[in-house]
Amino acid sequence: MERDGSLLDEYALSLTGSARPRVCFLPTASGDADHYVVRFYRRFSADCDASHVSLFRRDQGTDGVEDDLASHLLAQDLIYVGGGNVVSMLGAWRAHGLDGTLRKAWRRGIVLCGPSAGSLCWFERALSAFHGGPRPVRGLGLLPYSNCVHYDAEPARRAEYHRAVADGMPPGFAADDGVGLHFRGNLLERVVSSRPDGNAYRVELDQAGERVVETRLEVSYLGSRVIPAHGEPGAAPAPAQPLAPSGPAPGASGSVRVAA
Amino acid sequence: MSSPGSARHDERLILAMGGGGFTMEPANPLLDDYVLSLARSDEPRILFLPTASGDTTAQINAFRERFVGRPCVPEQLSLFRLSDTRRSLRETVLEQDVVYVGGGSMRNLLAIWQAHGLDSLLVEAWRSGVVLAGLSAGAMCWFEAGVTRSSGPPSVIRGLGLLEGSLTVHADGEPERLPVWLENVRDGSIPGGWAVDDGVGLLFRGLRLERIVSSRPGAGAQRVDAIAGELVRHRLEPELLGAPPSALGGLDEAVRELREVHRMRRGMGGRDL
Repeated sequence: MERDGSLLDEYALSLTGSARPRVCFLPTASGDADHYVVRFYRRFSADCDASHVSLFRRDQGTDGVEDDLASHLLAQDLIYVGGGNVVSMLGAWRAHGLDGTLRKAWRRGIVLCGPSAGSLCWFERALSAFHGGPRPVRGLGLLPYSNCVHYDAEPARRAEYHRAVADGMPPGFAADDGVGLHFRGNLLERVVSSRPDGNAYRVELDQAGERVVETRLEVSYLGSRVIPAHGEPGAAPAPAQPLAPSGPAPGASGSVRVAA
Repeated sequence: MSSPGSARHDERLILAMGGGGFTMEPANPLLDDYVLSLARSDEPRILFLPTASGDTTAQINAFRERFVGRPCVPEQLSLFRLSDTRRSLRETVLEQDVVYVGGGSMRNLLAIWQAHGLDSLLVEAWRSGVVLAGLSAGAMCWFEAGVTRSSGPPSVIRGLGLLEGSLTVHADGEPERLPVWLENVRDGSIPGGWAVDDGVGLLFRGLRLERIVSSRPGAGAQRVDAIAGELVRHRLEPELLGAPPSALGGLDEAVRELREVHRMRRGMGGRDL
């Protein structure tokens, strides 16, 4: 739903393997901003069974889902998490028990995706820019790495991310705007981009543990190729190397597609 | 409770409103002017926290509409939108004279404050003499418990506990909260406390209820306690802050006088912080 993001949205939908996927939008990180909810329905309601969950207007009947959020979310094919402030979002999720629900959704194979805060939240640690400048924050930890978004657009983040990894933040992945990191289980399966020049990087300490090393990853530009059908993991031109593989979590089958 | 000796010079002020102020009474500035009059400065820095609403543009606009042009330095703090400021949350909060908390979801409000560490900053601000004001969720949050509709139907929720007892708001405007609160007070699930109508503010100095004010004739409050499983209710009559606002929205005479008294008191005995 971001600027020129329709290719990424289509890619996320393709991962569900459903002709008319059930898609639920979580605009929590924006404070459930009305314009964002409207944008979601414009983008998704034609091809999907679209719904959204508001955690701020639960008393007002705003056509969002109100009863039994957990059952509703667990019945989706795709959960789309909007951008905004990741710390505020995680706080509100915890207060409504959505952190546990999303973990369960992931284990059940529901595709989780989102840009910006909707990417950062799935990782163990993330770099969040806010009052006082970018700083490391704790995410849900489905993916045992760190994550940095808007890597090209906001140069201060790159410097801060390197510093944080040097200071002991787990190694992880950085993505430019328009670039999606597709994980199966907790392994990076593919990097896709809605822009011809979008990049993503693995960022980690070198063997000696002294210097931060940034490795550019193979990126598939979504505009020049046919989107592969669901269940063809071999379609990627060169599988991205997993980072510090700790083996997939038991029963982990969920797909996470995150984009900067 | 604070000791009798310290109460007189207690700088800690909280104004808890059952409803009212700029988001609910756009044509009636009495409560908001009263908020400004409580500050330690003639031109107070006032910070609005619209967190409980998800930082809606509507609340922020209403805040600016009310306070820009009044003798104060208004500013809002969004925990959702990115801002250009390099100031830390700590600096932003502690350099204020007034922090004004808007209504919305109390559950989200407290969870998001906690995620940012803002709850402890607000306690620190309160202790250092920053006036804490708020309505609805922004009023109940200071007490041990309140009644929220954050998940739809009214239910009790724990607050920050700066003030003793519980609070329920919109006692006249949203009557469905009241029975939930009364039942929970009666069975001891939450401590006794106050039920407050829209337009009514309870002013606490330290932990002591010092004054009850109202922007509307007819609005009131009640104190409710459970004694041996029975509810004991006392109706409390607020002081009406002034005549209905003039078209110019000027300061009411009583508010002006109050400000003067406040200023004098500060000059004589108040610690300058």
